[in-house]
Amino acid sequence: MVKRFMLTLGVLLLAVMFAFPAVAEEDTIKLAGLFNLTGGMSSIDAPGLNGAKLQAKLINEAGGLLGKKLEVVGIDTKTDQKAAATGAKKALSMGCIAGLGYGDTTYVMAAAPLFQEKQHPFVTSGATHPMLPQWVGDFMFMACFGDDDQSFAIADYSVKTLGAKNVAVWTDNSMDFTKALSKFYKQRIEELGGKIILEDFFMTGDKDFSAQIARLKNADPKVDCVFISAIPNEAGLTVKQIREAGLTLPIVSGDGFDTELVTTVPGPQLANDVYFSTHTYREDTRPEVLNFIKEYEKEYGRPPENAFAALGFDAVGLIADAIKRAGTTDGPALRDALKTTKGFKAVTGEITYSRASGVPVKGVSVISVKNGVYKVEEVWTPAN
Amino acid sequence: MSLAYIAQQCANGLILGSMYSLVAIGFSMIYGISRLINFAHGEVVMIGAFLTMGLFQILGLPFPLVAAAVLALGAVLGVMIERAAFRPMRGAPQVTGFIASLGISIMLQNLGIMVLTAQPRNFSFPAYLQQLVNIGPIGIRIVDICIMLATPLLLAVLLFIIHRTRLGVAMRATAENLDVARLMGIDINRTIMAAFAIGSGLAATAGLMWGGKFGQIDPLMGFIPGLKSFVAAVIGGVGSIPGAILGGYILGMAEVLFVGLLPPIYSAYRDAFVFGTLIIILLVLPNGLLGKETEERA
Amino acid sequence: MKTDRTRLIFLAAAILGFVMIFAMQRTMNEYIVSIVNFVGIYIILAVSLNITNGFTGLFSLGHPAFMAIGGYVTAILTLPVMKKAMFLPDLPSWLAGLQLPFFPALLIAGIMASLTALLVGVPVLRLRGHYLAVATIGFLIIVQVLITNMESLTRGPLGLNGLPAYTNLWWVYPWVLAALYVSWKIKFSSYGRTLLAVRENEMAAQCLGVNLFRTRIASLVIGAFFAGVAGGLWAHLITAITPNSFSLIMAFNIVVMVVVGGAGSISGSFLAAIIFTLLTEVFRPLEESLEVFGIGEIFLALVLIMILIFRPKGFFGSREPRFLTGRNA
Repeated sequence: MVKRFMLTLGVLLLAVMFAFPAVAEEDTIKLAGLFNLTGGMSSIDAPGLNGAKLQAKLINEAGGLLGKKLEVVGIDTKTDQKAAATGAKKALSMGCIAGLGYGDTTYVMAAAPLFQEKQHPFVTSGATHPMLPQWVGDFMFMACFGDDDQSFAIADYSVKTLGAKNVAVWTDNSMDFTKALSKFYKQRIEELGGKIILEDFFMTGDKDFSAQIARLKNADPKVDCVFISAIPNEAGLTVKQIREAGLTLPIVSGDGFDTELVTTVPGPQLANDVYFSTHTYREDTRPEVLNFIKEYEKEYGRPPENAFAALGFDAVGLIADAIKRAGTTDGPALRDALKTTKGFKAVTGEITYSRASGVPVKGVSVISVKNGVYKVEEVWTPAN
Repeated sequence: MSLAYIAQQCANGLILGSMYSLVAIGFSMIYGISRLINFAHGEVVMIGAFLTMGLFQILGLPFPLVAAAVLALGAVLGVMIERAAFRPMRGAPQVTGFIASLGISIMLQNLGIMVLTAQPRNFSFPAYLQQLVNIGPIGIRIVDICIMLATPLLLAVLLFIIHRTRLGVAMRATAENLDVARLMGIDINRTIMAAFAIGSGLAATAGLMWGGKFGQIDPLMGFIPGLKSFVAAVIGGVGSIPGAILGGYILGMAEVLFVGLLPPIYSAYRDAFVFGTLIIILLVLPNGLLGKETEERA
Repeated sequence: MKTDRTRLIFLAAAILGFVMIFAMQRTMNEYIVSIVNFVGIYIILAVSLNITNGFTGLFSLGHPAFMAIGGYVTAILTLPVMKKAMFLPDLPSWLAGLQLPFFPALLIAGIMASLTALLVGVPVLRLRGHYLAVATIGFLIIVQVLITNMESLTRGPLGLNGLPAYTNLWWVYPWVLAALYVSWKIKFSSYGRTLLAVRENEMAAQCLGVNLFRTRIASLVIGAFFAGVAGGLWAHLITAITPNSFSLIMAFNIVVMVVVGGAGSISGSFLAAIIFTLLTEVFRPLEESLEVFGIGEIFLALVLIMILIFRPKGFFGSREPRFLTGRNA
C-alpha cells in the first residue's frame, strides 16, 4: 500500500514539473490570445483567435516587429472563470507583453485585472461593455465599440428610418452584455420620443419563444418594431419563430445578430426585415476588409464566421501598431502609445481613443437582412 | 388572456413534452435494466441531430429513409456505448457508472467541438414539413404535428415490444432481478444490449425532432436534453417507463406554461419555478410519480 | 481512532506544509502559486463533499450552490464601502456601510451556507438516491436563478469584480488543514461510524437507534460550511464572481474527485483533488502546441474512465492507507 502511495506521489511530482511552462527560447514577441475555445462561448471566441493568428502571420510575412517575429499564444480558458484567471497568470509568467481576446465581459474581468496589475496592456477584441476601461484601469483597451454606441445607432435607425413609435424590447436576462444593450436602447428610444409598449425576457439557451411571441401578437397598442437583445445562439431562433408565427414587423438588434444563423436558420424567405447594428466589416468594400476576407479564406478555407474574427485581427493590429510607434514592448510605454492611437485603419472601422472613458470612437454599421441578403444600410458615427 | 392563447401554449407544451418524453424513456429503460444512470444519453440526441443533418442535407437522401437510418444508427451507437463504458462497470457501485457515462459525455462533446467546430449549424427539414397550419385558433407547423403523433406511435411500439414479445419479458425480468433472470437462462448481455439499443434509437430520433423543431444544432446541444431527461425520468419514478413519459410531458408543459401564463417579469425565473415545482412533487411523492418503493429488506 | 502515530504524522505534515509554502512563495512564479491555491480549494471542496456524499451516501449535487452563497456573502462583506456604492447602490443601509476583514467574512459565509443547508435539508433530505440528486440539482438552479435576478443584492449577471485579492496560500492552507482535521475526527469517531452505517444500510442503522434524519442533516450542514468557505476563498482568488461561476459542471467535477478517490476515503479525495486539478493544467501545453483544443478534456475523461475500470471503487475504496492509521481502518 505504501509503495503505491509513493508511486502516486511520484507521478504527481512529475506532473507538477510538466506544469512549468515549456521553455522554448526563440526570440519572439509574445501576445497572449485568451479565448474560450471550448465550452459555451466557443462559437463566439474561436474565430477571434483565428483572426488574431492571421494578423500575426501577415505581420511576420511583412518583416515582423522591431526585428522579431510576433507570436500569438492561444490559450483556451474553457468558458470558465478559473481557467481565465490561471490562463492569464500563465501567460504573464511566460513573458507575454500584452494580452488580447474574449467576446464577453465576464472573462475579461477575470483576466484583464491581472494584466493591469503587472502593467501590461490588455486589448479585448469583442467585450463591448463601455465601463470596462473604468473598471479595470488604464491598461485596458477595447478594439470594439461600446454597447452604448451600438444601441444608440440602432435606436436612431428604428425611430428615424423605420419610423417606429411604439417598440417592444426582448432581453436575454442571463448576460450582462444583453442587459446593457437593452438599457441603452430603451434610453435612446425614450430620448427620441418613442414609447416602450412591452418588455419581455428570456435566458441564454432558451429554444422556445412561443409565449413571448403570443404576448407580442396581443400587444396593445400595436408594436411597430421589436428589439431583441440576444447573442448569436438565439438570434436565428427568434427570427425564425417570430416570422413563422406570421408576424411581419421589423426585428432589430445589436451585434449579437451578426451571424450567419440569422439567415440560415429561418431560411431566405423568412429572414426578412431584420436590422442590426454591428462592427463595420460585413459587405464593406474598403480595401482592409476585402484583404482580410481574402486572407482568412486562404488560411482557413472558409469565410470569417462572424465579426469577432475581424475584431481578433484588429486587436493584434492595434497592439502591433502601438509597438511600432513606441519602439519598445515595455508596458507603460505601450499603454501610452495605445492611448494615442488615432485613425487606425482597422478592418472593423477607424479607431481613435479620444474619449475620457477609454471607449474608442468607431463607426457602427447598420445592416439590413432582406430575403436572406445582407446589405449595409448606413454607417452611424457617434457625436463625440 | 384568451382561450386561444392558452390553447396555443398548451399545444407548445405538448410538443416540447413529447420530445422530452422520448429521451426520458430511453433513459429510464437503461436505468431499469442495468441500474446505471447514462449521462451520455444527451450526446446520443446530439449525434442523432447531426446524423440527420449529414444524411439529409449533405447526402441528400429522401427524408423517410433518413428518419429510419437515424433510428438504426442511434441504436448502434447505444450498443457501442454500452460495450465501452458500462459492461466493464457492471457490479460496481452506481455512482461509478454515472461518472463513467459522464466521462463518455465529455469525450463526445469535445470530439464534436474538435471535428465539427463549436459553431451552431443550420438544420433544415424538407419544406413540406415546415408549413404553418391553422387548427382553429392555434397555429402549428406540420413538423410539430408529426412530433406529437410520432411520439405516441413510437411509445405504442415500445410498449408492444415490452409486453408482447419474448425480448420484452426478458427485459422486464432482468429489470426486476438480474441474478434470478440469469438463473432462468436469460442472456443478460443480449437483453441489456437490446435495452440500450432501443433507448438510444429513441434518443437519436428525438435529436432529429429537436433539430427540426428549432432549426439549429451545435455540438454542445446534448447537455440540456440529457439533464432534462434525467430529471423527467426521476420525477416519473426512475425505471418506470410510463413514469418517464409522464415526467417528460410534465416538464415540457411546466416550462412553457410558466413562461406563458405568468407576467413577463417572471419569464427569467422560469427555471426556478419549474424546479421548485419538481421539488414539491418529489416531496409529496418521494419515489416519483409512478416509482415503486425499493425498500431493501434487511 | 487516532493513534499517537497518526497524530504525529499529521502534525509533521502540517509543519512541513507551512515550510513548503514559505519556500514556494519565495521561489515559484505566480502561475504555479495560483495553481497550488486552486489545488488547495479543490481539496477543501472534495473533502467536504466526501463528508456528505462519501460518508453518508447522500447523492448531493448542490455543493456549488453553497459555494455561491459563501462566495457572494464574502464578496459583499469585504467589498470596500466606496465600491459597494458604485456596484450595488440599492443595498440596504446597514449592509452598505459595512466592511469586514477576510476571516470574519469567511466565517459568516460558512455559517450562512450552513443555515441554507439546514433550511433546504429539512424538507429535501427525506429523499433518497437519484431523487435527492434531482432535488439538489433543482436547488442549485434555483440559487443560480435567484442570484442572477436579485440585482440589488448581487448585481445580477454582471457579478461583482474588483474584489480584494485576499486569498493566498497562507489563507488556503489552514482551511485545508481544518477540513482534513474535521473530516478525520468525524470519520474515526462514534459519529463517523454512524454516518457510515447510514450509508451502508439505513434500516439496520435505524434498528440500532440511529436518528436518521438528524444524522443526514448534520452531514449536509458540515459539508456546506466548508463549501461556503471554499466559495469565499475562490471569489477572492479570481477577484470576480458571477452567477455562473459555480455551475452544475463544477458539481460534477467535485463528485468525480470524491468517487475516483473512493467515496468515504479522506486521503482518496485529497489525492484525487490534487491529481485532477494538476492534470487539467498539465494538458494545457499539449493543447497549445498542437493547436487542437478540447483534446485535454478528452484525455482527462479517458484517464477517468481507465481509473474506474481498474479500480471501480476508487483509489482507496472507503478506507485510508494503512500507514496513516497504523492499523486496518
